[in-house]
Amino acid sequence: MPYVIASGCIDVNDKACVDECPVDCIYEGERKSYIHPKECIDCGACEPVCPVDAITQDRRVADGDEAFVEDNRAFFTEVLPGRDAPLGTPGSAAKVGDLGVDTALVTGWSA
Amino acid sequence: MKTHDVDVLIVGAGPVGLYGAYYVGERGLSAAVVDSLSEVGGQVTAMYPEKQIYDVAGFPSVSGRELVRGLAAQASQSEPTYLLGQEAQLLERREDGRFLVTTTAATVSAGAVIVTGGIGTFSPRVLPAGEEFLGRGLEYFVPSSHEYVGRDVVIVGGGDSAIDWALMLEPLANSVTLVHRREAFRAHAGTVDKVRAIDVQLITNAQVTALEGGTVLERAVVTVKGEDEPRVLECHKVVAALGFTANLGPLREWGLELRDNRHLVVDTAMRTNLPGVFAAGDITDYDGKVRLISVGFGEVATAVNNAAVFLDPAAHIFPGHTSNEPHDVPVPA
Repeated sequence: MPYVIASGCIDVNDKACVDECPVDCIYEGERKSYIHPKECIDCGACEPVCPVDAITQDRRVADGDEAFVEDNRAFFTEVLPGRDAPLGTPGSAAKVGDLGVDTALVTGWSA
Repeated sequence: MKTHDVDVLIVGAGPVGLYGAYYVGERGLSAAVVDSLSEVGGQVTAMYPEKQIYDVAGFPSVSGRELVRGLAAQASQSEPTYLLGQEAQLLERREDGRFLVTTTAATVSAGAVIVTGGIGTFSPRVLPAGEEFLGRGLEYFVPSSHEYVGRDVVIVGGGDSAIDWALMLEPLANSVTLVHRREAFRAHAGTVDKVRAIDVQLITNAQVTALEGGTVLERAVVTVKGEDEPRVLECHKVVAALGFTANLGPLREWGLELRDNRHLVVDTAMRTNLPGVFAAGDITDYDGKVRLISVGFGEVATAVNNAAVFLDPAAHIFPGHTSNEPHDVPVPA
């Protein structure tokens, strides 16, 4: 039951949440950021700092954003463009840096 | 370096570690508890002391702080040796079968080890400016208040620790200024209101961009959103309370089987892959694991009772019901 970042983050990618996360589990993509569902400890520190209210617990995402629950997971389990293997569980977003790519859902997203 | 000799070493003084320390005493064994933080309570104390918790058995609602106070009182019956503000770094198994754990300040010889390390070792988030004044005016913790008497103090942050320290230091210090980079405080609204009601200057939407001084700190430069000129605050002390980051840290090198790079794999007796090393609470993983405080309490009781049998194979796993023995119960402080 992790927190997830939904469509509101796309093309905003403010990253204020990254500074709050105590376990460094928010990874930076090109158009938005993604919360690692296995590394998130469900503490909620990220939610109030999001300037566009894009972050919620996975069980209460906004209507129309349901696909982002799976999409936050897919960022780590699927092979992203330009990579040979899924990210898996790196254990620290700072360690992998700005990834500069997105999932297919986000790349093809138009508001 | 001081060496402590105990039956069971508990690594992590969070709620589950404290309950484990109590249970070690219930088994007639001696305990030491090591934690990188300077206070007991782990994640609950560091991150949500004012939040209400609703899923602790027997407490329809209890604040994090109250729960930790109760757990510490319960654990005090075992008279555990607390090794706080020190990180457990090395684990060695000696030839006689005992474990030697080296912390940043002591060594502990223990017959069994129970890891209740939660999300790992906590480090304070550093202030982006002025790190060179660390220990010369810049602090990340307020272990004792006497150094702040009559001083001008700047506290940075918007969480519970920042607010707590403002409340604690305001009656002692010459002045207290709280600098927070957002308009809204993350801390509990009730305690924020208390700070607003006393003589603490609040500067929001602001960041400390430089610290200045000679051998000791003299000034903090604060940049406020929407103001052209930075404000210069004369001060002796800056307390940066920007929260914590947690990392499994040196535990990774102990030879314990890890899952997902952050959890310890245990069996139904809470044994890790190393005989004599047990684990309980958020740090463990097994099929069907639920990472909740209520589950952690049960796990650590299982771990302690199995550790008792590991230490003395003639002992029973089942400790008997505590209701059959009179207890001299301490009152939470």
